[in-house]
Amino acid sequence: MAEDKPSELVQGTLHMLILKTLDLEPMHGYGIGVRLAQISKGVFQVNAGSLFPALRRLERDGLIRGEWRMTENNRRAKYYSLTASGRTMLTRATRTWEIQTAAIARILKAALGES
Amino acid sequence: MRWLRRVIGGANALTRGERADRDLDEELLACLEAAIDEKMRGGMDENDAARAARLEMGLVSSDSVKERVRSVGWERVVQGTWQDVRYAARTLRRSPGFTTAAVLSLALGIGANTAIFGVINALMLRPLPVRHPEQLVELLSRYPGEPRLSSFSWRHYEHFRNQNQVFSELLGVSRTRLRVTAEEGVPETIDGEYVSGNFFAALGVQPALGRLLEPQDDRVASAMAPGVVVSWSYWATRLHADPAVVGQSIVLNGVPATIVGVAPRTFFGLQIGMKPAMWLPAAMGSMLQDPSRRRDDSLGVGMLGRLRPGVTLEQALAEMRVLDRYRIDDFAKTRSAAFARGFSIELEPAAAGFAALRDRFATPLLVLMALVVTLLLIACTNVASLLLARAMARQHEMALRVSLGAGRVRLVRQVLTESVLLSAMGGVPGIALAFLGANTLVRMILSGREFTRLPQRIELQVQPDLHVLLFTAAMAVLTAVLFGAAPAWHALTAAPSASLRAQGAAGETCTRRLFARGLVVAQIALSVVLLTGAGVFIGHLSSLRNQDFGFERTSLLLVTLDPANSGYQLERLFAPYQHLLGRFGSIPGVRSAALSSITPISGAGASRFVKVEGFDEAPEARRYIPLNWVGPRFFETFGTPLLAGRDFAFTDKGAPPVAIVNQALALYYFGDRNPIGGRFQLVGPSNSGITGAPAEQVYEIIGVVGDAKYLNVHQPAPRTIYLNAFQEPRMFATQFALKTTAPSSAVAAEVQRIVREDLKTVTVARVTTMDDLVDSSIVPERVVAMLSSFFGALGAALAALGLFGLLAYTVTRRTSEIAIRMALGATTSDIARSVLMGALGLVGAGLIIGLPLAVLSRRAASRILPDLPANDVWLLVLAAAAMAAIALVAAYVPARRAAKVDPMAAMRCE
Repeated sequence: MAEDKPSELVQGTLHMLILKTLDLEPMHGYGIGVRLAQISKGVFQVNAGSLFPALRRLERDGLIRGEWRMTENNRRAKYYSLTASGRTMLTRATRTWEIQTAAIARILKAALGES
Repeated sequence: MRWLRRVIGGANALTRGERADRDLDEELLACLEAAIDEKMRGGMDENDAARAARLEMGLVSSDSVKERVRSVGWERVVQGTWQDVRYAARTLRRSPGFTTAAVLSLALGIGANTAIFGVINALMLRPLPVRHPEQLVELLSRYPGEPRLSSFSWRHYEHFRNQNQVFSELLGVSRTRLRVTAEEGVPETIDGEYVSGNFFAALGVQPALGRLLEPQDDRVASAMAPGVVVSWSYWATRLHADPAVVGQSIVLNGVPATIVGVAPRTFFGLQIGMKPAMWLPAAMGSMLQDPSRRRDDSLGVGMLGRLRPGVTLEQALAEMRVLDRYRIDDFAKTRSAAFARGFSIELEPAAAGFAALRDRFATPLLVLMALVVTLLLIACTNVASLLLARAMARQHEMALRVSLGAGRVRLVRQVLTESVLLSAMGGVPGIALAFLGANTLVRMILSGREFTRLPQRIELQVQPDLHVLLFTAAMAVLTAVLFGAAPAWHALTAAPSASLRAQGAAGETCTRRLFARGLVVAQIALSVVLLTGAGVFIGHLSSLRNQDFGFERTSLLLVTLDPANSGYQLERLFAPYQHLLGRFGSIPGVRSAALSSITPISGAGASRFVKVEGFDEAPEARRYIPLNWVGPRFFETFGTPLLAGRDFAFTDKGAPPVAIVNQALALYYFGDRNPIGGRFQLVGPSNSGITGAPAEQVYEIIGVVGDAKYLNVHQPAPRTIYLNAFQEPRMFATQFALKTTAPSSAVAAEVQRIVREDLKTVTVARVTTMDDLVDSSIVPERVVAMLSSFFGALGAALAALGLFGLLAYTVTRRTSEIAIRMALGATTSDIARSVLMGALGLVGAGLIIGLPLAVLSRRAASRILPDLPANDVWLLVLAAAAMAAIALVAAYVPARRAAKVDPMAAMRCE
């Protein structure tokens, strides 16, 4: 249970990050994990126990769509791609995120200045 | 939109099930393989790569990932529950005996409750199919000591309607029977209602065809060309559902009227159980009714008001009390002021229509409801103890599951699922049982005699509606929780280590044994309450039936003739009736025949104030004296003893008026003086349609007879005066009675034949026997007595079953102990006695709790049923003895089994 806590904390952001990753190009589950690790320079290690439930939830909500395709290594894999409503959601989530992080940053700076 | 996708996705997952699972498996595997590929490309060997990939992905156990992915949707809960249900079904199937016993007792318990509730719902709760039924209130007139009546006069209705500020609409309804003459076919008598012009508008009912009655229909001028509205069922059955019916002519009591519309299918009027065929404007009443009834204003009007928004019942009542003074002053003009002041007005919420049927059956139905709730409690306790015994037997299994890591919450859920499944299995046949039972019950209830001021034909359909089904579902869940609580608690506290070690036998703790016994004791206690109740109601019924009526009720055939519309003038019926009595008396198998205006116990009556010469009576002390106009040989036919003086004779006609009084009246007015030759007058207005002679008439008492019941079987015989029907100006007596020695059906056929021969146009309205009349006048008592004994027997049987189960279980558990005791020299009768003593101990404990409960509920019952016999200690003794006997029978088999234990076999088994 202890390891679950950080991933639960980023639960909302994990969805956004997955959407962003798929916005670049359609990808299978493993690829998403690897891509996230690469881009974040290893800060985010997403394990399967968080990734796949998140994918299922996004798919159920119609934000991403999955289909079976062949990989470059000639293996079958389920590729996920962004749907139209997924793209809208990503835009909205990104804007919210930016507003919030900017606000948080301002608050943190102010606190530092005062002390 | 998103929730919709989620629902659909979940449903998809549920239906696709395995394929979705395979999909997920494949996806996870692909992911793992991709990771391994990646690592191997980085230079690892295959084994290391696989291990590293698993670690990195967190894919140590792919099952746990799968579980987490699956639990994303709501369908997981459904799947879990479904698993529980299937598991529960399997375990229940494995013990068919237990399951049958539990399902049967629950079906009976839930079924009985649903049946009674179904009737209560149909009779008292179901709202009328009109706009905002909850705003409707009924106006009722109350006179102390009498049932409240929905009966006013049109004049008072108009006063209330025009003066009140609390009702947005006040409507009036008056019931009637009408003779319809169709173009083809025979005349038919139907139920109809005179209604005020605002009737349909006030209720917010829309026509199915044509239009409904409007205020202008209810003007005297429009009564010249009256319009009527027919009910849907009359239109469908009698008018062939003719779409062109609007505008057609129909002849009512000989007066032509026009059909202006058809009421909607759902609308049946304002009295549950009645289906009037048509509604007529009240203004038409004066044209169609018998002139004498119109004059004395005896057509009772029921009133329903729609409360203005924001007006409370109390405010409305306060205003109506003020307006009611008009009615009371009106009464005071013709009757004594003290009498008039006795009247008061009441308001009653009328969402379910007029209160007449409700008032009459509320008490017996509530008594029955209390009985069936007790029965259900017994059934619950029974199933609980069965489940508990099973839980003990399954202790080992539970302990094993706990030690293998099953969550306790999960176990409790499992046990509760089993309970809910059981009660659902009981509930479904219970509902079927209930609707059979409810409709039978309704038929029994309505088989009684006609209701005062209601026509005879009353139909009530009990259909499963949402209320009833919700009630049953609630009942089933409640029972499941009740009887499932014990085993669930048992599962929650299952101590794996102890019970795994002990292998069952010693795993039974002292508290649990006590609890199991407590359940059986509770069943016995509740059964004693039910049995006592049954005894009380049966005793009540038999004392009602077998009391001294003051006349002989057996072999008395009652025939009612209807000379209305026969063409005979009532003034000319004396000779034909005298002749008829002669012919009736000479039918073989008839000892004597008599005529009266009122049949005792029929619920109908007439009464007047009496002024006896030489007896000063204060106006407040005056009581209405019941009257009956009878012919010669009435007392001989009814077996009422003539104590002094002489009987009436046909030759009294034209002579000075004579009367016969009963003993109670003679004693009250004459004390020890001789009443024969005493004289009295009838004073004040009649309170019934029968008016009789002018008020100044002086009657001379010529005889004294024994006291006899008058209105009904409940009230003691009142002071009564009998007058000679053959001395009145008109012959209004219609009730013939024949004392028979032959079977009544043969005599009845002969009676019909004679009437047809003698008085062709006079119809025989009713033929019945006094026994039937008495029985039909005490239907609620009969129904309660019958059902309470049925429920009592059922409850006792369930308790016996519970006791049997517990003893059988105990004997099985104690086999080795019994074997040891036998080996040490105990005889078989010692062993059997110890089992029986154990049973008697339980019964004793049950009686100690049950008897005080029975006494308490007996007291509660006599509060709502005041005429229950007061003292019946012997009933308690009887119920206790019956319970003990039933318990001993139940204990017999386990005791025998205990006595038959073979010590050698049992010990070898160990």
